[in-house]
Amino acid sequence: MSNLHSLTHFWPELILTITVLAAIISDLIYRREESFKVAWWVLGGLVLTLFAIQIGGSTVSDLFMGTIALDPFSEFFKVLVLISTIAVVLMSFNSNELKDYRMGEYYSVLAIMAIGLFLMASAIDVLMVYLALEVVSIMSFFLAGYLKKNPHSNEASLKYVIYGAFSSGIMLYGLSILFGLTGTTKFIGMQTAIANLGPDSNLALILSAVFILAGFGYKISAVPFHFWTPDVYEGSPTTITAYLSVAPKAAGFAMMIRFFNQVFGDSTALVSETWSTINGIPWPQLMGVLAAVTMTVGNMVAIQQDSVKRMLAYSSIAHAGYMMMALPLMSEAGVYGIMIYLLMYLFMNLGAFFVVIYVQGKFGGEDFDNFDGLGWKMPFVGVVMTLFMFSLTGLPPTAGFIGKFYLFAAVIKAGTQYYWLAIVGALNSVVSLYYYIRVVKHMFLKGERSESVEMPASSLVTILLLAMALPTFILGWYFAPVVTWISESLVIFQGM
Amino acid sequence: MVDIVFWIIVGITIGSAFMVVQSKSLLYSAYALLFTFVGVTGLYVFLWADFLAVVQIVVYVGGILVLIIFGIMLTNKITSVNISHASVQKGIGGVVVLGIIGVLGYMVFITPWNQLAATEPEQTSATIGRLLMMDYLLPFEVASLLLLGALIAATTLSRKEN
Repeated sequence: MSNLHSLTHFWPELILTITVLAAIISDLIYRREESFKVAWWVLGGLVLTLFAIQIGGSTVSDLFMGTIALDPFSEFFKVLVLISTIAVVLMSFNSNELKDYRMGEYYSVLAIMAIGLFLMASAIDVLMVYLALEVVSIMSFFLAGYLKKNPHSNEASLKYVIYGAFSSGIMLYGLSILFGLTGTTKFIGMQTAIANLGPDSNLALILSAVFILAGFGYKISAVPFHFWTPDVYEGSPTTITAYLSVAPKAAGFAMMIRFFNQVFGDSTALVSETWSTINGIPWPQLMGVLAAVTMTVGNMVAIQQDSVKRMLAYSSIAHAGYMMMALPLMSEAGVYGIMIYLLMYLFMNLGAFFVVIYVQGKFGGEDFDNFDGLGWKMPFVGVVMTLFMFSLTGLPPTAGFIGKFYLFAAVIKAGTQYYWLAIVGALNSVVSLYYYIRVVKHMFLKGERSESVEMPASSLVTILLLAMALPTFILGWYFAPVVTWISESLVIFQGM
Repeated sequence: MVDIVFWIIVGITIGSAFMVVQSKSLLYSAYALLFTFVGVTGLYVFLWADFLAVVQIVVYVGGILVLIIFGIMLTNKITSVNISHASVQKGIGGVVVLGIIGVLGYMVFITPWNQLAATEPEQTSATIGRLLMMDYLLPFEVASLLLLGALIAATTLSRKEN
């Protein structure tokens, strides 16, 4: 679609851009103490964007001369990004860590990051892929280091910058090899060109795919590109940790699915047999091994953690591993499973991090010991956290179970050659039970029972925790509408 | 003749890039970077990318590098402090690097690259301008958003908190 016509379909991003500008200008008006009010502008913009997406309808087309795609698939991820951004903005009001800082820039940069995530989910041109990735990365470097007076936050930011620069450099090199082979930056054009390549190009193709995988793997924190994750997640403000563990991961998966499906895949359908045979390299097996290693490493290291925040950081690596199980299938059911899992994961993971933020503000720490007796002192927070932990493990009747169910079903349905992957995944879920239940143990079995019962002082915290807990619970047994919505969202732009 | 010039430029680029990472003094590293940038400019000229070559000089040498050198010189004592590049396991690292160079070099030579006809383009700046305003309008606009965000981030991080 031409540039001018594209604008009429570009309302969500336009509204977000205006939101960013409004946030920056409104920040000039507010004094330091009331700089948190910028959040209301950003929130308003985010809600408007959500409406704009709903009104937009389900046109399937390319926008801006084929740089981004407009399809239900990207809309699904945009909604995920918006929900998590809104939740994180609201939770930032209650963050103790952020109290000493001017908040205007925090919210405006969060909004810019949301635009970057939108573009990541819809990019169909490698130039756009790279640019969107950089927007998201640079904004997250800043947000990770927002606590300037905290050395851990500084460390997180610096490590993130170094890893980010390195992996995006490697990815760019891979993209340039791909460009050199095909002579185009558009996904669809690349696919046609790759189909016509001779066997001499195989080595270059393999190398470029590996290099590009480094960039994607870094964004979804897959092993062996995960080394930044624990330190960055631990040092960042916990609100940002929650955000990083959900939104960029979702957008990263969207980008990865789209890229591998369209560039190395078959244009006619989501199911792509050609991908496995494109150069005689067993890609599915390779990706499967990567998934298995990712979840195992994430789980094994998560067990050893003493800080709940760090434990959740490692467990988010494991969750990326579960979702990666469905990548080598490259089937509709696999992508479907990933999308369902991401939605469920959004609620339970954000919820778990919100409890950590609350506990941190209340007891000044995020170690397992800080959770001692929490279930008795504050039954509400304790029960909600228990729910999140059960859901993250994947126990019924929680959302996590449904997510895992669809994921494993897709893997098993794909054929006997993937059974081993499902078994590794199931064993890993059992392992994860240990450290998730450890939180519950500390909340209910450790520490003294207190007689008085407390509710969170702020009603906003209560509402937010409920807003995360209710879907986590309800989606565990009533998930038909959500599943229908996701299956309708499974329309990927495949070229005109 | 052209080949000799080309290899000289390649030598300058790679040699000075090696100096950047090997030099013990930060200031020398920055100066070595100057030659890397100029070398890359030469490579652009060989690709008939005249506009890009000029931009490379103006932006990287004239802007970024001067900024880096100012940054180093204006930072207290940074020139006198011996910033040691604590490279550990140089042996293994060297072997790995040589291996990667070998694989990549082999890949470059055996691959049939998608080549354009070797004719001198009449104008590059006009083509680039048209591409930026037509085919790549969105990336162009998004880049401005990226810069806006980076500016906000940089000023916020460097601001004195009181």
